[in-house]
Amino acid sequence: MSRIGEIIETMSTGFVAESFELNRPPALGSLVVVRLPDEAGARATEVDLYAVVTYGRTAGIDPSRRAVRRSTDEVFDQAIYRQNPELERTLRTEFCAALVGFASGGQMYQHLPSQLPPLHFSVHHPTAQEVQRFTNRLQYLRLLAPPYAAPAAASGAGQVPPLQVVAANVRWVYKARGRDEEWLKAAAREIATLLKSDHEALLTVLYAIEPVHATDAVEES
Amino acid sequence: MPLKLGPISGQVQSMAKALVEQFPVQEDYLRRARKHLRSADVDRLRAKLERHFGRQPRFPWLVAKPLDAGQRLYQQGLAGTTSAPPAPRDFCVVGTDGSSIPPDRHSPVRYYVVNVGYALITYGSEPSAVLDSQSQLCFEDRDMYVFPKEHEAPLEGVRFGARMEGESLRILRDVLQASTRPIVVLRDGPLTLWTLQNEEEKVQHALLRDFLDAMSFLRDSHIPLGGYISFSGSRDVANSLRVLICEGQPGQCHGCTSDERDLCQALATIRDRDLFANLEEGQRSELFASSSQVLEAYGDQRADFFYFNAGGEIARVEVPRWVSLTDEQLGLLHAVIHDQCQRSPGFPPYPPALLEAHEQAVITVSERRLIEEMVEQSLGQLGHHVTRSAKDDSKRRRGV
Repeated sequence: MSRIGEIIETMSTGFVAESFELNRPPALGSLVVVRLPDEAGARATEVDLYAVVTYGRTAGIDPSRRAVRRSTDEVFDQAIYRQNPELERTLRTEFCAALVGFASGGQMYQHLPSQLPPLHFSVHHPTAQEVQRFTNRLQYLRLLAPPYAAPAAASGAGQVPPLQVVAANVRWVYKARGRDEEWLKAAAREIATLLKSDHEALLTVLYAIEPVHATDAVEES
Repeated sequence: MPLKLGPISGQVQSMAKALVEQFPVQEDYLRRARKHLRSADVDRLRAKLERHFGRQPRFPWLVAKPLDAGQRLYQQGLAGTTSAPPAPRDFCVVGTDGSSIPPDRHSPVRYYVVNVGYALITYGSEPSAVLDSQSQLCFEDRDMYVFPKEHEAPLEGVRFGARMEGESLRILRDVLQASTRPIVVLRDGPLTLWTLQNEEEKVQHALLRDFLDAMSFLRDSHIPLGGYISFSGSRDVANSLRVLICEGQPGQCHGCTSDERDLCQALATIRDRDLFANLEEGQRSELFASSSQVLEAYGDQRADFFYFNAGGEIARVEVPRWVSLTDEQLGLLHAVIHDQCQRSPGFPPYPPALLEAHEQAVITVSERRLIEEMVEQSLGQLGHHVTRSAKDDSKRRRGV
């Protein structure tokens, strides 16, 4: 099943979703998709909103109830959940995602959509083909990298440094595209262009992507 | 600030000092009391209680009565202990708790809201949990009066509390449909609805009907039920010791010259949880019958009780007579309560099924306000404006 969560807070720049699986939000930096009918809801063509996971966390459903230590010498890690089945109902895992584009009428767009994703809609894993199609172009990285990214308060961004989100996305897409070396080099070049005025920021991203490639990219830029 | 914290601060310190000074004296009385507990002649106590109860049906103290000899063998006087048997591999615990918005006399609209929370937790090979609640707004005559046709005995105060207790058990019929066996049901609070004892007999019977019907359902389904009371303030067993050491007529202390008079007076302030503080973790005390007058209306479902060391606290557990007379059910209940306390993340432990049931039941301040607004809005849409009492209105406005 590709449904991985439900939107519980939504903004023009992104959304917060509750993960269907406790402690297993989608990977940081991964691409997720919200599928919705077109604005009028009259045509069969869908609009697919693409977003990159920027943050995840697990905590008590009731914000006034903090998690407490439960392990003993005999019961720890996964056994804690078997011994306390109510935890599956009292904890929840949330993830935030920043919108990076959408598909409509067979076209891919890498800018913010005109409408925010509807509350309570499902969040899905995209198909391999969608990942391939969406990431063929790299302008979407501008929606993640500072100073072009959305304000920190939006969609939980700011909890994870945006440079680390960019690096996590590049690592994830590289693997999702079947360890596509050409794509990785292109992405590194795009990031180098984006961050050309901030050498330290550029190195931070490149080292977080792959130290081996970092030196090459810096030299090329 | 209207509350003068200055004098209160000094009084708090005096209170703390007095309490700490009392500890050694209290400990000495506790040692003597426990000695009587161990050496108690159960037959003599039973005979004495029956004799005095015969003379005074409304005895001034609540006492703990040893169950009939044919039903239980008491060892070590009243101080016998039983360790918790192991819990079954697969089992289910259901905790229930209730919360309410009671009828508000400052509102022109008479209604109340009941929210019964429950936690159904399955342990073992297929662990799972269902945490949920049932909510209901009641406003019709049948909900607002114990005797609706006559408009008699409005449901408020103690009567409303008793209705709530019935609701917290009634939900079990819906909840227990497809649960893993064996099942144990835990309820937050006593099974003895002692607050009803000053009500008329017909009111008592009417209010107890739902509560006892729900208990019958559990009895017929062979599901043990326990009312769990954390940090109980009861003194039933301590009062029984007073009867035991009394040389005259219990309760008529004027002119008493007994050597044990000081202990008797100390026992009036000693709580059973302190008497049974020597129980080891997981152990329970002997079973006792309560002398609460309201239990006369319980028939064969009278509530008995035992004390239990939860591991940091002595809790009181009340069980219907059909549980106390069935070793298998009593053992299962004891095992599961011990298991629950071991799974509790807190200290002192508290059964997780009850904790989660409470979380489901609780009605927050903002939810209370929301219901009030919904009622006012609905009436407003129909052209009726709600006028609250002047007293309540002035408290809300608090104008200067």
